[in-house]
Amino acid sequence: MSTVLILAPIVISSWPAIAVAATAAASALGFTVQKTAQEARRENKEEQETRTVEIELANSEVLAQGLATDQQVVLTKGGVQLTVERDARGQCKVCASGKGLSKAQLTQAAEQFTQKLTQCFIYDKVMRELKGKSFQVVNEEIMQDDSIRIHVRRWVD
Amino acid sequence: MAQHDVEITISRNGDVKVHVKGAKGKACMEYAKWLTRVIGRVKDQQMTSEFYEPETRTRIDLHQDLRTEDDSA
Repeated sequence: MSTVLILAPIVISSWPAIAVAATAAASALGFTVQKTAQEARRENKEEQETRTVEIELANSEVLAQGLATDQQVVLTKGGVQLTVERDARGQCKVCASGKGLSKAQLTQAAEQFTQKLTQCFIYDKVMRELKGKSFQVVNEEIMQDDSIRIHVRRWVD
Repeated sequence: MAQHDVEITISRNGDVKVHVKGAKGKACMEYAKWLTRVIGRVKDQQMTSEFYEPETRTRIDLHQDLRTEDDSA
């Protein structure tokens, strides 16, 4: 053994990389990606009495470069709709809304999604960096507690 | 050739545990710095005994002296 580090993730990237992680997280949690943000908004307007909860992704920043305005990822599952977007301060924001759901239920859905998004984002980034440094994947598994364990190896002179 | 292993565990909430094995001293610190830059900020770090071992390479040659009974006599 040499060293053991515990790291808190920081999600800083351009919109496309965050959108990819959001889509992967959606797939893992059983959400469906809505065709367009406009379509989702239209449907939302039709539904009155829809409660909404907003959660910011901690330690996140969506880089403005390449970000067209109105870019969002809209996801649905059952009666819950999640919208992932960049807020005015540049942070990644997840907005959960749903008819007939309590604030606590929506907060839980948004929090579960932000955690999964962070996990997917870090996984993609780490794997890309490891391959760039010529590491070979020895083993990769999803544990019972939903954590992802990656074992990589590299031979050096 | 030295074997460097890294075990990375990405927890459900995104926290990451990194365990660097086989790399000693400066090499170990370089891995730690690099992965911190990639992932985020350090919440905790523990050095294990191997970290403090010298980084120098040791060459072990195994010789087997074969002596006949005449030599030893």
